[in-house]
Amino acid sequence: MADSIAFTSDRTLWHRIGRIGIYTLLAVFAFYYIMPLIVIVSTSMKDLDEIRTGHLLSLPAQINLDAWTFAWSEACIGVTCTGLKPYFWNSLAMAVPAVLISIMLGAITGYALTKFRFRGANVIFAMILFGCFIPFQVILLPMATSLGYLGVANTIPGLVLVHVVYGLPFTTLFFRNYYVNIPDDLVKAATIDGAGFFTIFWKIMLPLSLPIIVVTIIWQFTQIWNDFLFGASFTSGGNQPVTVALNNLVNTTTGVKRYNVDMAAALMTAAPTLLVYIFAGRYFVRGLTAGAVKG
Amino acid sequence: MASLNIRNVKKAFGPMEVLKGIDLDLDDGEFLVLLGPSGCGKSTLLNMIAGLDSITSGEITIDERVLNNVHPKDRDIAMVFQSYALYPNMTVGRNIGFGLEMRKVAKAERDQKVQDAARMLQIDHLLDRKPAQLSGGQRQRVAMGRALVRDPKIFLFDEPLSNLDAKLRVEMRTEIKKLHQRLGTTMVYVTHDQIEAMTLASRIAIMKDGIVQQFAPPQEVYEKPANMYVAGFVGAPAMNFIPATLVAENGKLGVSMQRTAKGNRSDVFLALNDERKELADWVGRELVLGIRPESVTHKSEAELNGTRNLQHFDCQVDVLEPTGADTLTYIELGGREVIARVNPHNTSNPGETMDFMVDMDKASLFDPKTEQRI
Ligand SMILES: Nc1ncnc2c1ncn2[C@@H]1O[C@H](COP(=O)(O)OP(=O)(O)OP(=O)(O)O)[C@@H](O)[C@H]1O
Ligand SMILES: [Mg+2]
Repeated sequence: MADSIAFTSDRTLWHRIGRIGIYTLLAVFAFYYIMPLIVIVSTSMKDLDEIRTGHLLSLPAQINLDAWTFAWSEACIGVTCTGLKPYFWNSLAMAVPAVLISIMLGAITGYALTKFRFRGANVIFAMILFGCFIPFQVILLPMATSLGYLGVANTIPGLVLVHVVYGLPFTTLFFRNYYVNIPDDLVKAATIDGAGFFTIFWKIMLPLSLPIIVVTIIWQFTQIWNDFLFGASFTSGGNQPVTVALNNLVNTTTGVKRYNVDMAAALMTAAPTLLVYIFAGRYFVRGLTAGAVKG
Repeated sequence: MASLNIRNVKKAFGPMEVLKGIDLDLDDGEFLVLLGPSGCGKSTLLNMIAGLDSITSGEITIDERVLNNVHPKDRDIAMVFQSYALYPNMTVGRNIGFGLEMRKVAKAERDQKVQDAARMLQIDHLLDRKPAQLSGGQRQRVAMGRALVRDPKIFLFDEPLSNLDAKLRVEMRTEIKKLHQRLGTTMVYVTHDQIEAMTLASRIAIMKDGIVQQFAPPQEVYEKPANMYVAGFVGAPAMNFIPATLVAENGKLGVSMQRTAKGNRSDVFLALNDERKELADWVGRELVLGIRPESVTHKSEAELNGTRNLQHFDCQVDVLEPTGADTLTYIELGGREVIARVNPHNTSNPGETMDFMVDMDKASLFDPKTEQRI
């Protein structure tokens, strides 16, 4: 008896020490990750004097949003001083259609690959999968040629096309892996009921796809919004996406370096992806684990 | 209402031949059960009737119309799946009516038919629920409703009851039988449960390795199994197989085998029916006597004097397993364990020798090499 009591109290002690260790470690990591964000947010709200005299980690004396309005509508990007605003809309006009189109096509392809298994479906899937591993740099030249040939070089629709093509392997992979877990019997039953390829897709598969749609939206939106290379390579001037404009804004030095404007611009550029995560993040985790939990 | 003919149908997945020439002819209103172990090709055959799998060679017809290249939706069949395959995003009502919706039946008529089908299956109070909010038994009924509402020529069932618990399975089995009696529609039903097969079928096709072993009414399958596989598959406890020698004694043909009684090993002779003269060739040769447990009972003098060919012998009892109605009595005949069904009040204790009686009218004989019925 005495032994077992000693044993249990020993165990709770170790348990507690373990807990403390875990939380300390977690706190350290959390601090490590949140630190840069704190620095950026606080710097964007300071004025230049405060930045020059104060400490990097000190908080702003008062909340001052001048740098934000300047970055949004006045800052110079190269020789034009319009702020990030027009480029932000460029990015939106590129990302929204590219995300929607690549998801739609990926869903249909994933559905065809799993539920209408045709001869060679596996080979085609393997080739599509291979597309996920092609580095961006490899396709720059052929893509530039193609865009020129199609007459969409240096346009937003051109960028949409690039991102749709480049995103398809990923969206197809996501939807294929999701649809593999949806029983084939559903499709068989619907076929006997008289529904065709697209009717089954619209009325049965798509309504069941919400979790994976959210996952794919987050993935694709983040990829496309954050893309720099394609934007920098295939567009110039007023057609650039916001990521490229941000880079130019930071590199356009006329006189003194305005750190607060740079920080505000960086936050603005990152805001949409952050918002998507905040609003859809829980679906993201749920979607990623959906297959495992459903059983 | 339809006849179904399956003529020399084969199916191969790549190099693997799954169905090796199936011939089945079904009259209007019949209830065919495809019975066989897992992987024997039952679902494949059903899917081919439904049009969900292509036919490698051969021909399937409904009412003499060749279906090989007809789309599933145009075959006028309805199917109930083992997994039920209910559309999770639709209400029960829409699930049942989906086939009609696809066929552009007007909403009012559709609702009426859904109502009727639901009422017949006692699920009319569930029409607004989603499948996830139903119990297993209720889902099963919805799946049946979806088939019922279309009023097809043929119903196809692929192990519809195997996901239900034992009690519900028996209830639904009876209900399917009632449904068949009421509608009189031709039905094809896949199962690996021999009791379902016996209770439901007008004819059973027992399949193994892509071949139909026997295609006959349940009672015939039970009493005159075509081979040892069928005999062993149907009936529980399984048929006893006893290695024996065919001998002629006092002008009568019979089978002879060894057993232990009162501490001595000696032969018993069980005379066969007089009609079985064609067995003369087999005299002196080994064969297998197949006899069901209920045909081996305790000896009753009264019955022995009847008109049936009842033979008796004594044998040492090894083990008793009371089941309530009968006591399964294990004895040893011809070196094999044999189960007899004995009235609980007539049993002897293990180790003692007891008098048994065999109904040789019910005996089957098999060729030990080919395992076919003789
Ligand atoms: N699409 C396919 N490709 C290759 N082989 C298949 C395919 N479908 C079925 N088979 C094979 O065909 C055989 C018969 O399968 P089938 O599903 O008809 O069996 P079953 O009798 O219905 O078994 P169960 O009782 O387990 O449902 C199995 O050996 C299976 O592995
Ligand atoms: Mg099956």
